Amino acid sequence: MSVKVLFFGHLADKVGLKECSVLVDKSMSLGDLVSAVSCDEYKPFALAVNQQQVTDMNMKIRAGDEVALMPPYSGG
Amino acid sequence: MAGAGKEVCIQEEDFSIEAEVNAMRAASKRIGGIVTFLGCARDFSEGRDVFSINFEQYAGMAEAAMTTLRDEALKHFDIIDVRIIHRVTTVHAGDQIVLIVVGAEHRKPAFEACEWLIDTLKQRVPIWKKEVTPEGDSWVTQHP
Repeated sequence: MSVKVLFFGHLADKVGLKECSVLVDKSMSLGDLVSAVSCDEYKPFALAVNQQQVTDMNMKIRAGDEVALMPPYSGG
Repeated sequence: MAGAGKEVCIQEEDFSIEAEVNAMRAASKRIGGIVTFLGCARDFSEGRDVFSINFEQYAGMAEAAMTTLRDEALKHFDIIDVRIIHRVTTVHAGDQIVLIVVGAEHRKPAFEACEWLIDTLKQRVPIWKKEVTPEGDSWVTQHP
């Protein structure tokens, strides 16, 4: 099973992708996913799962989820 | 021009302040004061010239966050109507970026709500800007 991961702002430049698909298993947490895409070093950033901001890094990821890594916003 | 008629809108196109204010005036005759905030692109930032600014959004989540802001403002301030437009495109110095229009019976809550809306928009709406400068492109960190 896989999840779609979106990268915004400078994170997309660092990772070299705007989005990717990651294979996950049933035990994978949000924190595990962040490590899997090698983004721990680029903190701070916020996370959203299916367009809802999430702070619990232990939250389990499900097949088909859309996870976004979002650096501090700078709109306006 | 676009945006007139929608209460919350993220769009590439430019917008008309006059059209938005007129739309609000037409929607309610109880409004006695309208406050607007217009954010524009600067040609100088953080000690550097800026050629242009590229905006990026998390489509769906950004507009939903702006709708939530509008709902919260209507609930917490003594105001009648709110319209928010944010452009997501490439803009140049002097171009319009964001517009907030707040209508109320009296001016004080309209001023307060307008300030709260732009301050909170910057904190809560997933939009990012990248400045194009002579030294290269750089993503902008939060501005106060």
